[in-house]
Amino acid sequence: MKVVGARLPRYDGVGHVTGRTTYVDDVRVPGMLHAAALRSVHHNARITRLDTGAAAAMAGVHAVVTHADVPLLVYGHLSGAGIPGDEPLLAKDHVRYRGQPIALVAADTVDIARAACAAIEVDYEELPALFDVRLGFDGDAPVINDTFGNWYDQYEGNLDVRQIRKGDIDAAMDAADLIVSGVYRTQSVEQVPLETQVCVAIPEPDGRLTIHTCTQAMYFSLGVVCSHLQLPMSQVKMVGGTVGGGFGGKVDTASDTLTALAAQKSGQPVKWRWTREEEMLASGNRGPWHMEIIDAVTSDGWILGRKMLTIHDAGAYGRFSVYGLTKHSFHHTGAYSIPNLHFDGYVVFTNKIPTTAMRGYGVTGLSTAIEVHAERVAKELGMDPYEFRLKNANRVNDTSPNRIAYEDPSTVEVLQSLAAATGVELGDGLRAMTREQRSGDMLPDHLVAQIGSGGGH
Amino acid sequence: MELTVNSVARTVQSPPLSSLLTVLREELDITSPKAGCESGGCGACTVLVDGQPRRSCLTAVCAVDGAEVTTVEGLGTPEDLSRVQQAFIHHYAAQCGFCTDGLIVAATAYVGGGGSADTGDIGEALAGHYCRCTGYVKILEAVAAVARGDTFDTASTASSANNTYVTIAGAES
Repeated sequence: MKVVGARLPRYDGVGHVTGRTTYVDDVRVPGMLHAAALRSVHHNARITRLDTGAAAAMAGVHAVVTHADVPLLVYGHLSGAGIPGDEPLLAKDHVRYRGQPIALVAADTVDIARAACAAIEVDYEELPALFDVRLGFDGDAPVINDTFGNWYDQYEGNLDVRQIRKGDIDAAMDAADLIVSGVYRTQSVEQVPLETQVCVAIPEPDGRLTIHTCTQAMYFSLGVVCSHLQLPMSQVKMVGGTVGGGFGGKVDTASDTLTALAAQKSGQPVKWRWTREEEMLASGNRGPWHMEIIDAVTSDGWILGRKMLTIHDAGAYGRFSVYGLTKHSFHHTGAYSIPNLHFDGYVVFTNKIPTTAMRGYGVTGLSTAIEVHAERVAKELGMDPYEFRLKNANRVNDTSPNRIAYEDPSTVEVLQSLAAATGVELGDGLRAMTREQRSGDMLPDHLVAQIGSGGGH
Repeated sequence: MELTVNSVARTVQSPPLSSLLTVLREELDITSPKAGCESGGCGACTVLVDGQPRRSCLTAVCAVDGAEVTTVEGLGTPEDLSRVQQAFIHHYAAQCGFCTDGLIVAATAYVGGGGSADTGDIGEALAGHYCRCTGYVKILEAVAAVARGDTFDTASTASSANNTYVTIAGAES
């Protein structure tokens, strides 16, 4: 045990404090071109004409990449997991969010590349846009996503809702002394890494590509790039691992594939560094969540059941949202043991930036909803919120919504530590609680059946 | 135009309205100042101009003709780190490192100007530097430690006064 508990310095600390750490923007390659993107100015519009002729003819412009240059235009971030792709790498005949890339120009300087983008002629036919997930279910709502419609419809092959059913929710509602409902909506959040999306792609003399990437997910991004480019992985070398902040936003392969295409087409190294404005406008963010919770509780503070409806705002395309919602569904009881569950969740499309991971994908907004709701329930019961939480807190072998037995739940100790750290006096009974498997007063009848046979310690 | 960059005399060929950031990064290949926002908002491009912290992205190079410019490369080397650099390592004040160079430059000016170990004063001096990783606590602790005159062991990481470790009964089972 030389490492556990030791106060080791960062392995990259000296590089960071002396300016020697090489981020992607610091990579220097002779003859490197600079790229800029043409992005949609509309939230939802048909592209009726796209003419890159004038831009391509400008002095100093070496490549203009459009949808026609992409070997496999539509590929999904979860295609490898069986979720169909829905997002074109570059918009072809339809833009579905403001900031969606339509073309990438590689030129001698970034100023020339931007001027060339301005010289690309695009005609749009603007369409009504949808921004509120609740309106996506209306019969007259504009259709947002060609592949899935207005909400994802292929869970387990053919379901349009992510469902969890556990125990008997109707019996729980009937048996409840009190039913507490609440609606919680969290907003979208941009990760704002200080390093914006950036890539350097180099066509090598042997025909392979070297890609300096800021991705948080190297091998995943390698798969995405090779799929769009229809190249075997042996033909692409990704260089990365030094990321100037990501926080989930660099899980999406946002810049590598297009930069690689521009390098292929121009035959020269290309750098594409997004501006801060682009990062805010067009990079995947944490999506908004709409969450409705109805809890069936007893007057002595047990949660008998939870009914929940979640609508996740995916933005214009699916990306990882189905994964995010599934994770959300597995966590929808939070750190508490609730034996009777009825969860319905939808991934709904809007004309906004496709949303993605950020620090606890699918769970962060959910935790806010669950904990605010717990406070409300405790208040309505006239009960100490610590007591309410500690009674219901997960114990060894309690089971999660997806029926995994917890081997090592720490909720009890976390709550006790939180009280100690904030000067809250817990009574003897609460201080004495442990994570051990439920028995005695901590094992009321309604929790007997949900105890799993997990491994324990 | 002439600049003295990290004690070396350099002649600049870029157009006079080029930003100092562009000149340093693209003409002189000094890459520690970062293009975080290129609009003066994030602080990652901060350098010292005649000893004062300046946003190099908002500074036209012609406006500092003849000046002495210092970036973090000029403050210390891996073999001979400045005290602020040592403090950032020992106090774990750098995570992804992208904001670090600008912060070290600004902190160097603060401490060099006789700044106190008061975290309120340090916070005011470093306001305008964004860091998305650390939550700032360790940066404030690092700069305060330099202002106090601490010495630093860069082979280890300091404990943080803001961390509260609570011993949990039964957690070892």
